[in-house]
Amino acid sequence: MNCSFSEKISSLIDGELSTAEAREVERHLVGCTHCQQVRADFLNLRSQLASFETSLEPAVQNRALKKILSTPRRTPARGFAWSFGTQAAAFATLVIVATIIGFLIYKSSNTNTNDKHLAVQTSSPVPTASVQPEASPSPNNKGNEQTAPRRSPSPAPKKPLVREPKPGEQFAAIPSTPEPVRSADTQTMTALHFEKSETLLVAFRNVRLNEPGTTAEVAYERKRAQQLVLQNMMLRREADAAGDVQISSLLENLEPILIDISNLPDKPDKDAIRVIRQRVERKNIVPLLRVNSIALARALD
Amino acid sequence: MASEDEEFTMLFQDFYPSLCRFLECLLGGRAPLAQDLAQESFLQLHRTAWGTMPVDEARFWLYRVARNLAINEFRKSHTRYRLFDRVVETMRPRARNPEQEYETQERQTLVLEMLQTLPEDQRTALLLREQEQLSYREIGQVLNVSESKVKVDIFRARASLRERWTRISHVNPV
Repeated sequence: MNCSFSEKISSLIDGELSTAEAREVERHLVGCTHCQQVRADFLNLRSQLASFETSLEPAVQNRALKKILSTPRRTPARGFAWSFGTQAAAFATLVIVATIIGFLIYKSSNTNTNDKHLAVQTSSPVPTASVQPEASPSPNNKGNEQTAPRRSPSPAPKKPLVREPKPGEQFAAIPSTPEPVRSADTQTMTALHFEKSETLLVAFRNVRLNEPGTTAEVAYERKRAQQLVLQNMMLRREADAAGDVQISSLLENLEPILIDISNLPDKPDKDAIRVIRQRVERKNIVPLLRVNSIALARALD
Repeated sequence: MASEDEEFTMLFQDFYPSLCRFLECLLGGRAPLAQDLAQESFLQLHRTAWGTMPVDEARFWLYRVARNLAINEFRKSHTRYRLFDRVVETMRPRARNPEQEYETQERQTLVLEMLQTLPEDQRTALLLREQEQLSYREIGQVLNVSESKVKVDIFRARASLRERWTRISHVNPV
């Protein structure tokens, strides 16, 4: 490819150039034999690929259609695309969440001393006001406060979504602009959803793979997962809208797992189940669900 | 439900052969496997996502699922299907004119072999463009990449195939 127009020729034959660009390339083509050859070769390649014939017999096609239509349909799940490339998506999500948490911790530790001054001015005349429990915290902070004593009792998550406030941080963490508060109903629903999901994942973890009847047990989990997927999507959207990063992230991590369970075939092989279990373990989802459901429930008390 | 099934049947009849062809080229032949994966893609659509999106989007969805299934297959053992595919290939009904059939077969084998030399993303983008006539924007949607990446991938794929094609033609003029 000696000529700089070669790439544009590719776009030209695809009709992806603007009128002006196309005209320019056409003008160039008139005088450049190399580009004329490139265009001819590209078009030849196109005809080779477009004329490729697949060996599909009508009987095979009809059999396939019959089989598909005879399979019972599941509850439609929007956002099904999550189940594809979930490993990559999950990894990306994890990285983003870790970055946000890291940033928040860094920011709060940096501004801790400065914010103490702010807290002194705004909430209490006492210089050590930030450690005084009687000063009333904002509703948002209530959640943080409640979360602290209930840190995961089981294996501690590597990257906890609910950050434990440092002593005296309750006031220091008050944002300059208050975050939108999510309604109590939504919080209740989210807490219940977390509880149900936790139960489901624990049950899924306990499915016995070496016994007959595995299918029946997975079928039950699958059904539960299908029920939870839609609710998960709805709650995630609400959490996004309310700017609740912690809840949203957890729901975001949970969603592909629920979808994968709900998409298991009638007779799933052991490996498929193991892969999902490993992901659940790796992401530490169960302890996080427990911690967050308790935190939300207590916040509502 | 009946009308939904009718609509699904129409989409299937219309699009299943294209999806089989796309997968066959992506997998480098292996027609029976391509048909299985196309069927699996439609099965997933019917069971979980049909009715939640417009038909056009369903097509993109199918490409995406089919491609992911194909990638899973790349990762699995390749030899499992190879022997079976060869048997099926041998048993495949031939066209009436054996000479013509032979030529077509040779040409298609060459095309498949050349396609296999491309990176997977370039190959997929090129097939979606040349066989399915999707625009760069649509290919970007299917592959979840930017239009500019699609443009570059397609160009690189073409340039690479052109070079190989030219080399082969010099060695063995058609």
